[in-house]
Amino acid sequence: MTDPNAIENNPFKELGEIPKKKYTDGYTVDSTYITVRDGVKIAATICLPKGLSPDSKIPTVITQTRYWRAMELRIPFRWILDSMVSNAPNPEVVTSRGYALIYTDVRGTGASFGSRITPFSEEEVKDGYDIVDWIIAQPWSDGNVVSKGISYTGTTAELFARNNHQAIKAVIPGHGFWDPYTDVAFPGGCFDNAFIQLWSFLGKNLDLNNPKVFRQVMPEAWLFVKGVKPVRTDKDLQMLNKALEQHSSNQYVYDNTIEEDFRDDQLPDGSSFDDFSIFARKDEIERSNIPILAWCSWLDSGYCDAIIHRFMNLSNPQIAILGDWNHGAALPANQFFPNRTSVTPTPKDKVNAWINFFEKCIYSDGIQGKMIYYYTLVEEKWKKSEDWPPIGHSYQKWYFSENFTLTREKPENDVGDDKYNINFRATTGRNNRWWALLGFPITYENRIKVDEKLLCYTSQPFEEDTEITGQIVLCLHLTSTHEDGAIFAYFEDVDENGNITYITDGQFRLIHRKILSNDPPYKILIPYHSYKKEDSAPLIPGEITEVKFGLHVTSVLIKKGHRIKIAIAGADKDTFLRYPSEGKPIITISRNKKNPSYIDIPIIEKENK
Amino acid sequence: MEELLPSLKGILKEAIDIKTNALKLAISMTIKNNIDGVIAEPEEIIIMLKMYGGLREDIPMEIDIDNDGQTITLKFKNEEDFKKVEKIMETIWDNAVDLLIQVLEGDLSRIKDIPNIDD
Repeated sequence: MTDPNAIENNPFKELGEIPKKKYTDGYTVDSTYITVRDGVKIAATICLPKGLSPDSKIPTVITQTRYWRAMELRIPFRWILDSMVSNAPNPEVVTSRGYALIYTDVRGTGASFGSRITPFSEEEVKDGYDIVDWIIAQPWSDGNVVSKGISYTGTTAELFARNNHQAIKAVIPGHGFWDPYTDVAFPGGCFDNAFIQLWSFLGKNLDLNNPKVFRQVMPEAWLFVKGVKPVRTDKDLQMLNKALEQHSSNQYVYDNTIEEDFRDDQLPDGSSFDDFSIFARKDEIERSNIPILAWCSWLDSGYCDAIIHRFMNLSNPQIAILGDWNHGAALPANQFFPNRTSVTPTPKDKVNAWINFFEKCIYSDGIQGKMIYYYTLVEEKWKKSEDWPPIGHSYQKWYFSENFTLTREKPENDVGDDKYNINFRATTGRNNRWWALLGFPITYENRIKVDEKLLCYTSQPFEEDTEITGQIVLCLHLTSTHEDGAIFAYFEDVDENGNITYITDGQFRLIHRKILSNDPPYKILIPYHSYKKEDSAPLIPGEITEVKFGLHVTSVLIKKGHRIKIAIAGADKDTFLRYPSEGKPIITISRNKKNPSYIDIPIIEKENK
Repeated sequence: MEELLPSLKGILKEAIDIKTNALKLAISMTIKNNIDGVIAEPEEIIIMLKMYGGLREDIPMEIDIDNDGQTITLKFKNEEDFKKVEKIMETIWDNAVDLLIQVLEGDLSRIKDIPNIDD
């Protein structure tokens, strides 16, 4: 959790006071099918404030999910909570502020008809347009629609902007990607095997309405939930069963990518990862000029980089927020305060902040320009900036040196290197930033023990407090005994007592090491690797090569007396695919005058703050 | 969900009226809330008894579901079976909520005790 006393620049305070409740009698729930342009029926659940008079007109918040818009509970819970809509956002909070709330199952999922080959397909995005048409034709609609969501629903919310529908007034993508290849599926070109496999497995069983598989992986859901909720009029479940039949031809990301390696590999429908990215839809999103409030956490997968890239690349009026919680902000994730038990702001405070943003965009003059709010770990302060990187940003090199040290001085020796036998048992466990995409807690524990398996370099104690904000770049000159391999690099803080705390990390598959001088598809602050097949090349065993890549963005204060540490691994066995798939590579990292290895750290100069 | 948990036991006890008739070897549950449509399928009753009540065996029983009257009646063939389920029904709502809380807190030990359930 962020420090609840961190008031200055706190975005949840700056978005205004909690709006007064307009409706206090609860809400009604109904459900129906909305038929979209190609005849596919989309299941929708509609919550309206109780006591809404027939001539009242209200705006609508819409969330489109692939994880069931509403759940059919098991008895006896169904008998008392039948009106509960289980997906966020909380309908009580939203409807009490005078909004209708609509959840839909995207095509091919839940109780909706249709099938899907990829997530976020063009057809799925276009459905949003048709659904908004349906909403504004309802007697209670005032013609204004806004969208919000977290994770999958965050991306569907953002893609509403791509539709350029005049009724859409604002979107709030929470914890969503910008570039699905690097943010989630292949960070640094390494396949995120654990998440993609489990996510695809869960998706498939959700789409087939098969909750019994959740006994092992999501027991709390299994205990409580019978399946997807059919629409109200589908008493005999005929419609639901027909919809489920159509879902049987769905395809899943894991099956379509486990054999793939490159950004430009084709998926079965001829598309590639880029086709369902946000950046590929940049022009349409900018044309809409819809205000965006995006939020995420430093510790969340590669989605932390997504929020920076969105901020740097989209011209839309924009608020960006980066905090220190897990994926979706249900749990605290600040590794420097492992005993914190709850997240600030509370879910209710967040929803109220989001509604304040919507109110500004619907009823006032919206927001102007761009502002990013970011929380600096250890310093425990919110900061804000109109630019990224923030003013005062500069880089500071720390070189790998003798005796596993990091020094500011460039090596002068003609020789100097360290050998490392890749330990394929090295792991960050199952509570890391990648597994967290499934809602799990984030804990990088026992770093002292973990680092024993890794090749580590540590600095002398810092002489003054130093803020690091941005993306650290790691540059290695190395040789390997094999043609393929990967580097996993962990950036850590070491306190006066030798306690080690994880700050951030980066991963990189070595065949992608070519740095391109042409323009990347979007603005970045780290070396540009295309991850395309044509730019890939195997290592030549024994030949020295430069490998330079960015770690995931962070903001942290290294305190006076603390040291920084970079720990190098060649595998993260419980998360990523093994590179190479067989063999026992040995890498040699050079740290000499001709071939120095170093980390380039983004510092915020004190005098420029 | 978490904020609802503390009050769930009370809500369940308030909303569901359980009556037992030892002479007729019958247990009935009447749901006081207005339920739209089918209140339950017979197999859901068995799942409920196994999942939340700790029932381990297949007990022969007749399950009558009166959707209009919102009453479910379980009729047993012998006193032993009746008493077994009567005992379960005394604490089933407390057990159900306790189990949910336990699992949400990360303790999965009791999940292992639940027999295979065919959804």
